[in-house]
Amino acid sequence: MKKLRYSVLSLLILALMACDKENDNVIKPLTGDNFPQILNLADEGDGEIEDEDKFSFKITLADRVDPDGESLEGRIVPLKKTVRVNFEVTDFEGFNNLNEYIEDAAAFYEIDDCTTSEDEGIDLHLTFDRTTGKGSVDFPAGVEEIEVEFETNPDLFDDKVLNADDRKIEIQLTAVQAGEEKVVVNTANKFEYLVLDDESIYGSYELDIEDAAQFQKFITLFGLINEDVKGLKADDVEEIEIEFQYGEFKAVIVLKETEQVDECGDIETVNKEIEIEGGIEELDEKTLAGAVEFADDIEQEDGSEQEFKYSGKFKIVGKNLELTLQGEYNDDETDKITLVLKK
Amino acid sequence: MNLKSLLFLVFLLSGSTLAMAQRSIIKGKITSGENREVLTGATVLVNGTSSSTATDLNGEYQFYVNSGNLKITVRYLGYKDTVVNVSVNANELKVVNIVMQSRQSVLQNVIITGYTQGQAKALNQQKNADNIKNIIAADQIGKFPDPNAAEALQRVPGVNIERDQGEGRYVSLRGLAPQFTNTSVNGEQIPSPEADVRFVALDAIPSDQLASIEVSKALTPDMDGDAIGGSINLITRSAQSKKAVIQGFLGGGYNELMNRGNVQGQLQYGQRFGKNEKLGVLLNSSYYQNNLGSDGVERTINDNELELRDYELTRTRLGLSSSLDYHFNNHHEVYFNTIYSRFTDREWRRRYVFVPEDEEIEKLTKDRFESQSVLSLNAGAKHIFKNFLLDYEAQYSYAEQKTPYDNEAGFVAGIPSTLSYADTKFPTIDTDQDYTSNSQYEFDELGMGSSLAKDRNITAKINIGVPYKINGSEGLLKFGAKVRSKNKSYAITQNTYENLGGVPNLDQFAGKPVKKEFFFNRYQMGNPLDVSNLIGYFNANPGQFELQIADKASDEALESYTASEDVVAAYVMGRQQIKKLMVLGGVRYERTKVSYNSKDVIFAANGDLEAIRPVNGSSTYDFVLPQVHLKYDLGNLTNLRAAVTYSYARPNFSEIIPSQEINREDRVATIGNAALKPVSALNYDLMAEHYFGSVGIVSAGVFYKQLDNFIYRRVIFNSPYPLTGTPIIPQIDVTQSQNGNDASVLGAEFAFQRRLSFIPFLKDFSLYLNYTYTHSNAKLQSREATEGNASITEEIRLPGQASQVGNGSLAYEGRKFSARVSLNFNGSYLSEIGGTKAEDIFIKNRMQVDATAGYAINSQFRLFVEALNLTNQPLQAYQGNSNQYIQREFYSYWMRFGLKFNL
Repeated sequence: MKKLRYSVLSLLILALMACDKENDNVIKPLTGDNFPQILNLADEGDGEIEDEDKFSFKITLADRVDPDGESLEGRIVPLKKTVRVNFEVTDFEGFNNLNEYIEDAAAFYEIDDCTTSEDEGIDLHLTFDRTTGKGSVDFPAGVEEIEVEFETNPDLFDDKVLNADDRKIEIQLTAVQAGEEKVVVNTANKFEYLVLDDESIYGSYELDIEDAAQFQKFITLFGLINEDVKGLKADDVEEIEIEFQYGEFKAVIVLKETEQVDECGDIETVNKEIEIEGGIEELDEKTLAGAVEFADDIEQEDGSEQEFKYSGKFKIVGKNLELTLQGEYNDDETDKITLVLKK
Repeated sequence: MNLKSLLFLVFLLSGSTLAMAQRSIIKGKITSGENREVLTGATVLVNGTSSSTATDLNGEYQFYVNSGNLKITVRYLGYKDTVVNVSVNANELKVVNIVMQSRQSVLQNVIITGYTQGQAKALNQQKNADNIKNIIAADQIGKFPDPNAAEALQRVPGVNIERDQGEGRYVSLRGLAPQFTNTSVNGEQIPSPEADVRFVALDAIPSDQLASIEVSKALTPDMDGDAIGGSINLITRSAQSKKAVIQGFLGGGYNELMNRGNVQGQLQYGQRFGKNEKLGVLLNSSYYQNNLGSDGVERTINDNELELRDYELTRTRLGLSSSLDYHFNNHHEVYFNTIYSRFTDREWRRRYVFVPEDEEIEKLTKDRFESQSVLSLNAGAKHIFKNFLLDYEAQYSYAEQKTPYDNEAGFVAGIPSTLSYADTKFPTIDTDQDYTSNSQYEFDELGMGSSLAKDRNITAKINIGVPYKINGSEGLLKFGAKVRSKNKSYAITQNTYENLGGVPNLDQFAGKPVKKEFFFNRYQMGNPLDVSNLIGYFNANPGQFELQIADKASDEALESYTASEDVVAAYVMGRQQIKKLMVLGGVRYERTKVSYNSKDVIFAANGDLEAIRPVNGSSTYDFVLPQVHLKYDLGNLTNLRAAVTYSYARPNFSEIIPSQEINREDRVATIGNAALKPVSALNYDLMAEHYFGSVGIVSAGVFYKQLDNFIYRRVIFNSPYPLTGTPIIPQIDVTQSQNGNDASVLGAEFAFQRRLSFIPFLKDFSLYLNYTYTHSNAKLQSREATEGNASITEEIRLPGQASQVGNGSLAYEGRKFSARVSLNFNGSYLSEIGGTKAEDIFIKNRMQVDATAGYAINSQFRLFVEALNLTNQPLQAYQGNSNQYIQREFYSYWMRFGLKFNL
């Protein structure tokens, strides 16, 4: 039996030698329920033209796996307890002191399309120091997103010259007092607010719909991607406006036909509109002439998406914008078409 | 001969089995006079009658005889024929143990180290087997440097193995892919640890846990019928004598590519206890750790991408087995056998992916741990009654593949590159920047997953044998039944994170190179990404990472499933000795009922995840499997064999689970087919074999297999989805495994092995040769088929079928020193069927050279050294033509050395 004992012991030793390196230099990641909620800036940036008197940024929770299993893409799962988020203006350009531009601040969240927390008298206890640019705000339990809005001096940048330098503010989240909540903030991302120069291409322009040639050019250009536009006649249209915004091109065709809409309980009669939007892929700024390109996807009948793209150049002469574009969509393309619009 | 004719012949044979049972029984054990070891496969016959049998793995035999004075002859290759006079009374059970003397016993003081002993065991079993089979005994396995069961099997004629990191893993028999072969431990099938297949990765089973490996190339009715290529039976060791036997080895080794060592050892204890050695106990353990790796270059032709792959692995193989048996008396015994094996891989895969079209280079590292465990518990009993034999067994077996972590992270640099394949073996990469500069690589994604695949079998079986005699000819009628319940499942968790903002570039997470050079110093790998560094950063800064929720949902749903499979089987067979002709015929019936639960994953036309829906399926199928074997004794040492058998192979789980991926964006769908029928085959075998009395064999044979319902992946163009019922998608290209096409395999085998004692100056040398040629042909839907001509077909080789497979080995076995050089050759074979013929992927032919040497210090201790892959043979895959490499992977050589002991 002595031999048996030795053998069993040896067997155990051999088994213990199973050094398979399973745990060598392994760090268990925070996944599943251990992965915290994340508070983040909702957008990378925004911009308005020079005489705008306010701007805002939003703080939102990142999507999580839907605990109910209904949304496959995930959804925001609101916090169970209120936390406090710190933020800070980390950079600004185009002026010397922050308090020259920012005059006041407020924070709120949407309860529904027509009601905000301010309407209900809910205080998010926003603090903001106009000198240091540091602030903090409550992110309440049960809320998906809050907005911090700054009242700005509309006269500070409202000049009549083409500006060569940036006018901007950068804001970052800096910390969260989470209490018992498992929540962190993304402190790396920045929200950049740009003051857009309305002496450059930014702003709104109107097409003269009485000019039959220009109207037809517009229809040819944008009828490529929109069947409703393709069938329009000048008599159907009240006005056509295009707008270069922060990161976006927009064309709005206001029809003479009207419809009734419910605006938070008020029934209003408004003109119907057709909107064409595209994300700006390329745009020369701080210049009176340059290149432009915008594009977007259009949903097809079968649910798939096809990209359209308009590219060309622009030239600003006084109050006139000369916009030359060529459209591409679904293997079709237009000729290079020049529109002349007025600011 | 068609199936009906075969059935008719079988029933004719079975019908002839009515006869009176004999009353006297002779049983006993045959052992070697030199070392008291049992002699497996010895022929035992009663002179002047057709009563004949062979000893089993324990060297034991038994048969029913007429009473009276009998002469019993025992034959065993390498030993002198022994004749014993026995007097047996009516109704008596006579125990006759016989000790045989070796032909080489004249060589006094020779330490029996090798050739004859192991070969003799295997060849004697092979010679006396009723069906066509190859057997490798443990000590024969030990002569080759084969650490796992797959590599041991590569030495068998007709076997081709698929390798992983240079080590054998899957076994293909006779030109048929691994799913056409079933694998058993101690006669009962074991489940596969892997999620989507049935076949077992045999690198999980250490070869030193085994007493022998049997490869049956033609099935008998008492065997499971779900094997077309053949059936592999791994037999564990059992205690043989009252003297305690402690044996094993302790060794270390070296891997040249990684410049690192390895560790291995084995310890076995076996002993029989009691006055009559009634209780047998054997415990066996082995452990193997290897630090290995590979250098690889892979190319994706259609996407014009090139990958540099640097693998580093720590691989372990733990084997534990036990055998417990108790012989109540000469009539009744019980046993309980167990085997547990655990195979693990800690793998680091470091890659560059050059994507010239996107002007990007990706740099990735994968860190994964995977364990495969197989547990098999067999409990049973054997009884000898006056008129019949009875045995029964219950088995519980469980296999799992557990991946506690599978982490891969990737970074991307916007560096343009130009790839050139002018030198097909060493593509050139031109970049205008240093692609190894980590500061240029931005974070792309971090995937962290885990998975668990489980497969459990519960089996019970019973066999009854009734001996009889017709016109003086001995026979055995045997019948039995079996039930098996299988539950298989796969669960996966996958979390992939992208940059929410703030994750630094790769230089913050770089580790150190693990090799001095990569791929003959043709390419630079720089400092690799250390995934653990990144995960540490992830844990400290979770706010910078964004979980890809839809990807998680689809990844987890697509692969997960549960399945159950119940099999009921019964058989009847007769074995009749008619003078020199043995006829074995019978029929087996198997019913299989399967059911599956999985999920459909539907992607919308815009690419968004649209829906995940539970789905299930089930099917039931029956097989009646007639089988006939003939063995004609052309002399004491020469057999002529023929067999016609009918068998089948079940589809892989990945083909039958109704999991579906519907991608409306790309208008393609891949769907499982729960109604998929197994492949069936009519197998014809003819084999002639001559054994040398000095231990050796020369054999030659041909085989032909006609496969029906061959499974192939079919594309149904512009099909409504679902395929039946109300369509929710009017037109989509559906890819699904379907039945319907025929295939055939024709082959020839040749084997030669013997000691070259007939050549005086080579008397201490022995030669081991085998060669198998196969030709296959399968029809499938033409890859050029379109909606207008979807029915046109084309012919291809069967995937996994190498035209030529062979082995050669030359050994020197002197008094104390022995050495062996071995060659293993695999011809090229089709690995994957592509979308077009030009996209078919082949594995290039490969010849590996291994060498072993040993020195016997005394009868108890022996030094050994083994070296594998001495010529640094790579794994090479090509697409289209044989010079268009899409993968080249090198492993260099590795070796081990140590001390073997037998106390």
